[in-house]
Amino acid sequence: MKTPSLLLAAPLAAILVLGLAPLILVVVWSFCAWDSATYWIKPEFSVAAYGSILEAGRWSVFLSTLGKAFLTASICLVIAYPTAYAMYFLAGPRLSIALAALLTIPFFTSYLIRSFSWRLLLGRTGVINTLLQQVGVTDAPLDWLLFSDFAVIVGLIASYLPFAAFPILLSMRRVDPVAMAAARDLGAGFWTMARTVLLPLTYSGVFAGFLFVFVMVAGSSTEVQMLGGAGASIVSVMINDVMRVANFPLAFAISTLMLVVVFGLVLIGDAIFGLASLFEDRGQ
Amino acid sequence: MIVREGTTPRIVIWALTVVGLAVIYAPPLYLLGVSFNPSLQPGLPRLSDVTLKWYEALGSEHALIAALGQSLIIALATAVIATALSLAAALAYRQLHRGRTAWFLTVLLPMFVPGVIQGLALSTVLSRAGVKASALTVIAGHLLWAMPFAFIVILTSFAAVKRTYLMAADDLGASRFRQFYDITLPLVRPGLISAFIFSFLLSLNEFTRAFYLAGRQNTLPVVLFGKMNAGASPTIYAMSGAIFLVSSACVVVVALRSLFMQRRTG
Repeated sequence: MKTPSLLLAAPLAAILVLGLAPLILVVVWSFCAWDSATYWIKPEFSVAAYGSILEAGRWSVFLSTLGKAFLTASICLVIAYPTAYAMYFLAGPRLSIALAALLTIPFFTSYLIRSFSWRLLLGRTGVINTLLQQVGVTDAPLDWLLFSDFAVIVGLIASYLPFAAFPILLSMRRVDPVAMAAARDLGAGFWTMARTVLLPLTYSGVFAGFLFVFVMVAGSSTEVQMLGGAGASIVSVMINDVMRVANFPLAFAISTLMLVVVFGLVLIGDAIFGLASLFEDRGQ
Repeated sequence: MIVREGTTPRIVIWALTVVGLAVIYAPPLYLLGVSFNPSLQPGLPRLSDVTLKWYEALGSEHALIAALGQSLIIALATAVIATALSLAAALAYRQLHRGRTAWFLTVLLPMFVPGVIQGLALSTVLSRAGVKASALTVIAGHLLWAMPFAFIVILTSFAAVKRTYLMAADDLGASRFRQFYDITLPLVRPGLISAFIFSFLLSLNEFTRAFYLAGRQNTLPVVLFGKMNAGASPTIYAMSGAIFLVSSACVVVVALRSLFMQRRTG
């Protein structure tokens, strides 16, 4: 067979020109000084931008972003693992396909609209507050339901849950049910079997799912913009804020740190668990 | 081989599944319900009160309609180009021996670049190069967002293309182009159509990149974002509800179609 150089050329060019090159320039420009006269950069080496990340609580936004990503990814696993199990082992063929479609739709509908719609449920006069008062759980509407970290985490789970479910589903497809049935025949209860047989066999899916959600949350902005409180921030929103005063080097320095974290995690995850191998049986 | 779960585990597993689906679907479906309520106060309408008046009112929302038009043009162009590029990428993947995994990751990695960073980087580079922000710059930003999804969908559809088919055609003297045109293309056509629809929806609903890359005419999500924060109105619910419904319906059509194809081919 001939080398596929011609076929590679067009998509590779798009990825390099539109994706990689701008990101490399961002990294390079993050080490330049800011020119407040032109609102652009001066061609001289400087790490001042990285210094100012340490100021004004910017560092804490990084930490809270990673915290949100960790918490969201963990909760998503708790929900997505049983969901994948139900799809693959419990549901009949029709229900299984219906569940797969229901988990596919979120990828292709608006994150903006879905985040926004939580306002109707969580607001002071929203469904949940009305319900809680009718049942008599509280006398006054709960204020922390909306424009709070609680609302942000709920919105993030709703946005990125499918990113956890599909890798787990793919890994479950490779588990031999004989091993699970054998464990049950030998007297293991369901939970024991799940913990000692199924879970270890699906580690790659679990870690991939965790990683996907973590990375998506780390780069998210819409959920915080729609549902966060007054001072709420996340790295992507902080970049928007910095760009309001056109401080390019600072915005680029924050971006560079974030890219290092995101690509570091994805590449480490790939090296350990072989992310690409999850899709291996496809297109062969 | 049957794994006996027992009643309690089944209940726990289904309960968590339902919780997950409720978290995903309850809010947008509620919003959809609210959009049929004649009252200005958000709430579900009584069945006798259901109205389309906010959808009719959309006709006079010129800013939303102009933005929708712009978004549709951008989504169409993005879908055409992303599908073509992803087909090339998938063909290259099939022909590669070494470097397959590297190529797979190369196409997939743009998915993980945060939208704000990608949008900021591209818009800065383009404006430095003297390119004015327009529909074209948004398309440039949306291509890499849509390609990973389109690539995976097309790659999956390549499972139908058995190597033996191509070898047989080769033995019978078909040129490489004839092999592609007469064998590969018809077999992967369902994948191409799915990839096209998915790319279209991804572009139509994309917000963070368009926020940086849109020119004078904003895309629909950018305009919606502004209006959502300026105080919600029933027409916003109607526009959001309609876009959510149409997007979901497209995915369902793709799912049903692939199910039907599976049935037919066995």
